[in-house]
Amino acid sequence: MGMAAPTATNMGPPPMHTDPKLLTLVQWLSPNFPLASFTYSHGLEAAIAAGWVKDGATLETWLRDLLHHGSGRCDAIWLRAAFAADTAEALVTLDAEARAFAPAATRLREGAGQGAAFTRLVREVWQIDLPDLLLSLAVGAATRRAQMDLETALPLFLSGFVSNLVAAAQRLMPLGQTQAQAIVARLHDDCTQVATETKGATPEDIWATAFLSDIAAMHHETLQPRLFQS
Amino acid sequence: MAKRVGATTGLNSFQTSGCLKVLFGRNPSRLDAILINTSGGLTGGDKIDLTLDTGDGTCVSATTQAAERAYRAKDGWANVSTQLSVGEDSTLFWVPQELILFQGAALKRKLRCDLAPTARALIVEPVIFGRALMGETLTNAAFHDRIDINRAGAPLYRDAIRFDGDVHRHLSQTAVGAGAGAMASLIYVAPDAEAMCADIRQHLPATGGATLLQPDVMALRLLAEDSMALRTALLPILDRLTHTTLPASWRL
Repeated sequence: MGMAAPTATNMGPPPMHTDPKLLTLVQWLSPNFPLASFTYSHGLEAAIAAGWVKDGATLETWLRDLLHHGSGRCDAIWLRAAFAADTAEALVTLDAEARAFAPAATRLREGAGQGAAFTRLVREVWQIDLPDLLLSLAVGAATRRAQMDLETALPLFLSGFVSNLVAAAQRLMPLGQTQAQAIVARLHDDCTQVATETKGATPEDIWATAFLSDIAAMHHETLQPRLFQS
Repeated sequence: MAKRVGATTGLNSFQTSGCLKVLFGRNPSRLDAILINTSGGLTGGDKIDLTLDTGDGTCVSATTQAAERAYRAKDGWANVSTQLSVGEDSTLFWVPQELILFQGAALKRKLRCDLAPTARALIVEPVIFGRALMGETLTNAAFHDRIDINRAGAPLYRDAIRFDGDVHRHLSQTAVGAGAGAMASLIYVAPDAEAMCADIRQHLPATGGATLLQPDVMALRLLAEDSMALRTALLPILDRLTHTTLPASWRL
C-alpha cells in the first residue's frame, strides 16, 4: 500500500538552512539574470510558424524531446565537462569543440551571446575570471570556480532553459499563464532525470536526434517577420 | 592517394584488401572513385576502414556503386571508419549513395575529414530508415553515426547521432523527425557557400533546413517521408553543389 503516515516523532523534513551559495546559483540561473535570454526562442518561433508546435500539448512534447534528445542533454554534458576542466586552456579547447557541434548559426549566436553576457557579469560582480564561452560551458566553469554544487546547478540550468522557452511560446501563440506554469512544472522531472542520466558522461557521449528542432533553428535565419533572435 | 598530374588529377597510390573494391572512372578534370562493397552489405562483426588523401591541387570525387545495406547483425556491431584528407587548393566530393538500415541492423560509423586551409569539400550522408516499400518498419535497430570535420587542425563541424531500439517510433516524436523515413546530412565548405546556401534554401521542402555556419561553411539537414522523396529533394541540391558533375552511378 502507500507510504506510512508521519508519526508524532517524525514531523516532516528537518528545518532548512539555505546556503547563500544556493541563492547565488538561483540568481545566475533565473530568467532575470541579464543575459537577454528573452530574445532567443531556440528555433521555437520558426517551429510555431511551421505549425510543428501549435498548442500546449505539442509545446510540452517538443520541450521534452529537446531535454532528452537535443540541446538539453548536450548542454548538460557540456556543463559537466566545463565543471571538470582544470585550466582556462582546457575550457577554450572544450568551447571550440562545443561550437563545432552547433547545428545552426542562430543556435551558435544564442549560446555565444548569452555566454559572453554571463562571463562578463560573473567577472564584474563575483571576480570570477573566465574566457569567453558558450553559456552551458560558462555556467559549468563558474559553478566550479565558486565551489558550488554541480548536481544542484544542472537541474536549475535545465529548468531555466525550459522556463525561458515556455515564456517565448506565450508571446508567440495562445497559451494561458496557468497552462504555461503547469507545463514548466511537469517538465521538472525531465530536468532532474536528464541531470542524473548525464552523470559521468563526457563530450564523447554527445549525440542528438532532435532534427526537427535543428531544422527549425535553420529556418529562423530567414524567417520573416520575427520577434526573436533565434 | 591522389596527386596533381599536369592540369588534371591522377592516382598516386592505391591499396585495398577484403571486401572493398574501388573502380576509377574516366573524367578529364578529376579523379572519380566508385566504392564497391563486394560482400553485398554490412552485418555484425564487419569492419571497413577507408582512407582517402587528395594531395594538393587536385579534384577527387568518391561515391558508391549502389546503396549500402546494413543488415540484421547477429554478432555485435558492424564498424565503418572513414578518414578523409583534403589538401591545399583541392576539392573533394564525398557523395556516397544511401545507407539503408534494415530491421536488426547494428552499425557504428565514423567519418573524419581533415581540411587544409584552402581545401573545398562537399560531404553528404543519406540514410534510409527501413525498407518502407517492402512494408518494413524499423522497430529495432542501432545506428551510431559521427562526423568530425577539422580545418587546419581546429574543429570546424561535428555531428553525432544515435538511434537505439525503435527507430520508427523515435522518428515520430515531435521535435525529432515528423515521421520521416529518410534523412540526409550535408556539409559544404567552399568560398561560394553563402550564395549556394541562399539558392538552396529556395528549393528545400518544409522539412529541410540550410544554415551558413561560417562565411564559407554551409550545413544542411533534410528529412523526407521515404527514400524516393529524399532523392527527389536531394538530387537537385547535389547537382548545384557539384556544378552538375554528380557521378553517374547516382543516375542509374
